[in-house]
Amino acid sequence: MVDGTVVPRMHTLITTAFVACLVAGCSGNAGTATPMAGGPAAAAKAPGVAKRFVFITNGDDPFWDACLSGLEEGAKRFGCAAAGITVSRDVNNASAEGQIERLRQYATQPDVAGIALSVIQADNQAIVDEMKKLQAKGVKVITVDGDVNRELYREARSYYIGTDNVVGGRTLGTAAKALLDAKGLTSGGYVQFAGFTDNDNARSRMNGVKEAIGDRYVERDRMADEMDLQRARDNVRNATQNHKDLAALIGIWSYDAPAIADVVTESGSRDKYVIATFDAAPLAIGQMQKGNIDVMVVQNPFEMGVRTVRLLKAMVDDDEAVINEMFPRAGMPDGDVHTTGLRVVVPDRSSPVKDGLFDSQVVEFLTLPDFTAWLAKYHLTGS
Amino acid sequence: MAPLGSSGGSGWRLPRHELALVAAMVAVFVITGWLDPNHTYFATWAESRDIILRNTAILGIIALGAAVVIIAGGIDLSAGSMVAFSATTCALLLALFAAPDDRRLVTVGPLGIGVAIGGSLLSGLLVGTLHTWLITAIRLPPFVATLATLVGLRSFARAMCLFVTKQRWGSESQQINVNTPFFAWLKEHNVVIMTCTFLVLALLTWLILSRTVLGRHLYALGGNEQAARLSGIRTDNVKWFAYCFGSLTASLAGIFLMADSSVAQPGNLARGYELNAIAAAVVGGCSLQGGVGTVTGTVLGALFLRVVIDAVSKLIKASADVYEGMIVGIIVALAVTLTQFGHSGQGARRLFPGGRGLAAIPTIAAFAGLLAMMGAANVDAFAGRTGLLGGAVAGGMLLLLATVRWLEGQRAS
Amino acid sequence: MTPIIAFRGVGKWFPGVVALADVSFDLLPGECHAICGENGAGKSTLMKILSGVITDYDGEVLVRGKPARFRGTRDAERAGIAIIHQELNLVEQLSAAANIFLGRERRTPLGLIDDAAMEREAADLLAGLECPISPRVPAGSLRVGDQQLLEIAKALSLASDILIMDEPTSALTEAEVARLDRVIARLRTRGVTILFITHKMDEVFRLADRITVLRDGRVVKTIDRAATTPREITGWMVGRDIAGHHFHGPRSRGPKLLEVRGLTLPWPDHPRGHRLQDVSLELHAGEILGVAGLMGAGRTELLETLFGATDTAWTGEIRLDGRAVRFAHPEEACAAGVAMVTEDRKRLGLFPDLDVAANVSICSLGEAVRGGLVFRGREEALVAPPLRATAVKAAGPHAAITGLSGGNQQKCIIARWLLVKPRILLLDDPTRGIDVGAKAELYQIIDRLCRDGLAVILTSSELPELLTLADRIIVLAEGRLTAEFPRAEATEQNIMEAATGT
Repeated sequence: MVDGTVVPRMHTLITTAFVACLVAGCSGNAGTATPMAGGPAAAAKAPGVAKRFVFITNGDDPFWDACLSGLEEGAKRFGCAAAGITVSRDVNNASAEGQIERLRQYATQPDVAGIALSVIQADNQAIVDEMKKLQAKGVKVITVDGDVNRELYREARSYYIGTDNVVGGRTLGTAAKALLDAKGLTSGGYVQFAGFTDNDNARSRMNGVKEAIGDRYVERDRMADEMDLQRARDNVRNATQNHKDLAALIGIWSYDAPAIADVVTESGSRDKYVIATFDAAPLAIGQMQKGNIDVMVVQNPFEMGVRTVRLLKAMVDDDEAVINEMFPRAGMPDGDVHTTGLRVVVPDRSSPVKDGLFDSQVVEFLTLPDFTAWLAKYHLTGS
Repeated sequence: MAPLGSSGGSGWRLPRHELALVAAMVAVFVITGWLDPNHTYFATWAESRDIILRNTAILGIIALGAAVVIIAGGIDLSAGSMVAFSATTCALLLALFAAPDDRRLVTVGPLGIGVAIGGSLLSGLLVGTLHTWLITAIRLPPFVATLATLVGLRSFARAMCLFVTKQRWGSESQQINVNTPFFAWLKEHNVVIMTCTFLVLALLTWLILSRTVLGRHLYALGGNEQAARLSGIRTDNVKWFAYCFGSLTASLAGIFLMADSSVAQPGNLARGYELNAIAAAVVGGCSLQGGVGTVTGTVLGALFLRVVIDAVSKLIKASADVYEGMIVGIIVALAVTLTQFGHSGQGARRLFPGGRGLAAIPTIAAFAGLLAMMGAANVDAFAGRTGLLGGAVAGGMLLLLATVRWLEGQRAS
Repeated sequence: MTPIIAFRGVGKWFPGVVALADVSFDLLPGECHAICGENGAGKSTLMKILSGVITDYDGEVLVRGKPARFRGTRDAERAGIAIIHQELNLVEQLSAAANIFLGRERRTPLGLIDDAAMEREAADLLAGLECPISPRVPAGSLRVGDQQLLEIAKALSLASDILIMDEPTSALTEAEVARLDRVIARLRTRGVTILFITHKMDEVFRLADRITVLRDGRVVKTIDRAATTPREITGWMVGRDIAGHHFHGPRSRGPKLLEVRGLTLPWPDHPRGHRLQDVSLELHAGEILGVAGLMGAGRTELLETLFGATDTAWTGEIRLDGRAVRFAHPEEACAAGVAMVTEDRKRLGLFPDLDVAANVSICSLGEAVRGGLVFRGREEALVAPPLRATAVKAAGPHAAITGLSGGNQQKCIIARWLLVKPRILLLDDPTRGIDVGAKAELYQIIDRLCRDGLAVILTSSELPELLTLADRIIVLAEGRLTAEFPRAEATEQNIMEAATGT
């Protein structure tokens, strides 16, 4: 009889210990309501005043690490800590359902004051609905990097911060055309790689590329990998094997650049292709140094992060001055769009891609050493 | 003569299990509501409730199917892919009924909607039939048969998506937007509709399992397949029902998920849902050996899982889904452990026997410590002291488990 | 000569059953010793004690003159005792060599598995046993005879000098039997002591030096081969106190219900080629037909074929009420009024997770249905009469079936089949593992059912049971019908002779 009772008691003991650990482990931010004493303006941080800005990504991509640095820099620059605002990033699982679920979850949490998200599907009604519900509750909602379909759902967010993706695409297309022409080609095919072909920014960029690269070169395929790195590599392998006249490989999302460079070096066919990619993932920078990437059109996720915080803070504080400064053309077509600059990065001055090809108002032309120097300044590993 | 009292244990075990789930759920609610600085559960109760209900309905619908298959002594690993397959089927049928240039599927009429929903439910029946054929005629183990469809169906759905979009609109697409007014309406009222559907389905499943001959045969099949056959039960027919029911619930969930996210995205939709559904059934008291399980248990199991997952996202704030798998894992292990201890005769077993038991103690302590440390990293109050906290938890756990082991040693000698 | 193994007053009780009582005999070094006995005489229990599978028993076993009490099969192996079970213990996916050295793998100096060394040794061992197989072949792909030699090779590699074989020839072809005889002869020249269990008289008299006969767990006799005859041995095997037989009065035989003509059930991949060969019988209402036969004679297969529960296609003819039938599934048999109580209750009969009422109602639950739903009250009302008729003792209809005694579980299963109101009841060894009191109750129940007009086919591994209950007895030996006796002419002696092919 004694045996029978001792053992269950032990089990209860252990169960309790497990649950205690679970709760201890998970109660995580329980403490954020009472931030550390001694910080500046501790008085302003009475419970209930604490606010949060949340940045929801579309999926997992090195691009977002630079953006996170920007968010942190922005929080520092614009005095978020003093105002009792914390800024956090939530990495989505690359599905629409994931973004919807996250938006719903934040709608229940009264301390969320602002949400910035990179919309995964521009035409997704459900995501738009959740954004509108958040706005109705008084939460500030902006899109960054990936916008909703502006013709249909513009009112789902107040503003968009990001690259002008069509211009970005055209810039990459122009650079690719210069490289193809310099190889003495008059015709050939190219394939564009992205996470989703239905995503707003991917679609805009791809259309821009197609527009600028001209009719002499034929778009053979647009391949989607759903943000699966392995599949991104498989897509490149399949493209190079399936299209015999392939002359250029265009990477639209940041992890596609190292994927393309890896595959062409592994198959020893680097010289057959012009490789033009978006963004500057840390691995892509290394690949360009090794000569495996011809040109990168680099967005500025760091700056996106900084400006996201600036804009959300201004919206929460009703700071018209800042908002007007960021959106001087308010009321005009696309006046709610704030573009962060683009950079064209080439390995060195000997590249056929020359400064004069681009509108210097929009595009900054850099060689790789200059670019890495800029990264070092902000302790960034990529952009 | 026959041990007269022995029937009591079996009769009372299940209700006790379910009461324990309810109690644990209430505890999680109260603790979370109290720890959460926003006190979300008390402050914005209605919205939190809606999130939990919606997610529970989806998980629960799939879990009911999983439970029926498990009770019948099988396993259905394909549910997540079946969800994606059914959602894609539904969207593609809608596309066929939409105006030629309508890529958002706004223009589908009642007939198209009916055909799409009917077609996607039918796809569930077909897959269930395929499973039964693979299992009964080809004699594949259920694990293998449904593993094949788990990987196969999703890929098939993606290929189908590419093919139909290309044929219909001239350009391939990996996903189809669904903005049909009916599905928008479904989404608008998703909490009520999904919860009601779930409850009706649960009631129906309960009726089938506990009040029909078929239900009895499901339990008999799961409990002892050979005896069932030798009792004149057409076991293959019963299996057919079980696997069709499993696939049918998944396709129902697929329609709801498609409506809810207004897109059919076969590549990513409902990835891993099958394991959560099986976990819910197991937490609810179903035995993977078959023959044991209840609908109330399964419903409570699904609800409990979703409540705990939701509680964690209230507490962790951002990227809470990182912790989801860990939570489900711990709950499943704990629930089954406790159920086993509920059986008589298991209590005498030692928790940490021999060398391997000894090795388990520091392993568990280390995991507990690391978990505490990672949790504490989210808390400003612990800044700079996360290591200390982790160490303290690990040490405490080590001491506790060592004491248990010592007590067991004392008892054995 | 000191006996190499000596049993001294060994006894073993299982709940309700005496498996062995006061068993004493000697095994002399280098001899070949046969143990004979009916099913359930205690042979297997004895082997399990000797090989360390059963560890708690009364009395003692002396090995080489010293008392030994094995706590596991390893202890027995260490004492030089190896056992070749009827169900061979091989890992089918592993190679022959790997099986021989399983658990004692040879290793290279680096601690890696030394396949080459093991294959070399295995090849030597197998060559010594006239077994021309490659040591690399997976054990599962070998013929049964070769698998058996593989087990013997394994025993030899353990340096065992006492070899126990449980019915070694039951699955062998004639050529393989001859080879086994030669192997045994060769082993004996090496001084290996052999103890083998069999009920085939020709084998006993071909191989054994001495014979021990067991009956009801007791030693009847240990005798030199030269001093006895097969007839005498079978007499000792069955010759028990037969008081209590024929307790029932005469029953009236009704019209013919079932007729079986030339039933043959093939057995692919087996040297015998058939499970049943040209079996014919007929069954009348109100009579009990007993089916006698040793293990593997085809009793269960006969009943399963009649019940539509066998997967293999059979030939011949089964006529029910003069109409030819061919049941593809037990359900069809049930619908036609044939019911079967299976042999292995736990494995083939019970639903451990269901309660008593559900276990009884499983075949006829439809009768408790109104409007598609099962009603608890109706179900209880449905199962109450058969539970009463079989006198099941349980706490109530919703008691756990696993909490009942074996006898009551068996009564529940009979109650289950009474509910379908069968005209023919097939009972496959219904009293196995049931205590004496419950047996007598079951006999009365079966007798009463029969008087109510039910036709019964009964198999049993215990001859007295058949003699007690049956009106006629047919005897199967290796799938063939070898004899049929009306009750008046049936004796244990002549049944056993027909079953052992004496």
